[in-house]
Amino acid sequence: MKNRLKVERAILDLTQEELANKIGVSRQTINSIEKNRYIPSTVLALKLSRLFSKPVNDFFVLEDQD
Amino acid sequence: MESVLSNLNEIMTQESHLDSERNNVDKLKIFQLPNSAKKIGWVIACVAFVALFLTIKDTLPKEIAKYSLLVGLLIVSISKEKIEDELIKNLRLRSFTFAFIFAVFIAILNPLFSYLANFVFTEQQEIFNGVGDWMILWLLLSIQVLYFEKLKRIHQ
Repeated sequence: MKNRLKVERAILDLTQEELANKIGVSRQTINSIEKNRYIPSTVLALKLSRLFSKPVNDFFVLEDQD
Repeated sequence: MESVLSNLNEIMTQESHLDSERNNVDKLKIFQLPNSAKKIGWVIACVAFVALFLTIKDTLPKEIAKYSLLVGLLIVSISKEKIEDELIKNLRLRSFTFAFIFAVFIAILNPLFSYLANFVFTEQQEIFNGVGDWMILWLLLSIQVLYFEKLKRIHQ
């Protein structure tokens, strides 16, 4: 799974820490998602979607091997 | 139509039965202490660890130190992180799984190794000794705590 979290974060001009605070997780979680080391739960993905005002599919994209 | 209704009815009774069972299981949620307890746990564990080396074998103080070390590590193990989010829960789960498998593995292999070593080096057959209960608990707790810290470090 690819993600465009870093780009979306840049659009809103947020640091990892600020984004983490807004959706109630730790900075490490945001960092791990951005580096593709952790796949967030549906709840977390929907929280991000609400914050970015975009559908989840816009920033989490399935790859061929998934 | 009637058979569909009776099927549906059957499924719903099954589900409500499962629901009540699920509620009972949910009541036994993993017991966790607040983050502040973690420091207390580390202090107890460290003091007990030092005390282990200062006390004489097979005396009461030594036994107290041994079990205080386990209590300290248990407190560390079940204390929450500052932010207990889904990544931390995931890492915690992985550390418990790893510790369980690894500790059982060592507990099985350790007596075998000491038995073989005795056999080779002293050329006499020792009694096949198992691993004591303290050793297993110490393995489980220390591996879990250390592996959890390692997982947290690589997810910085």
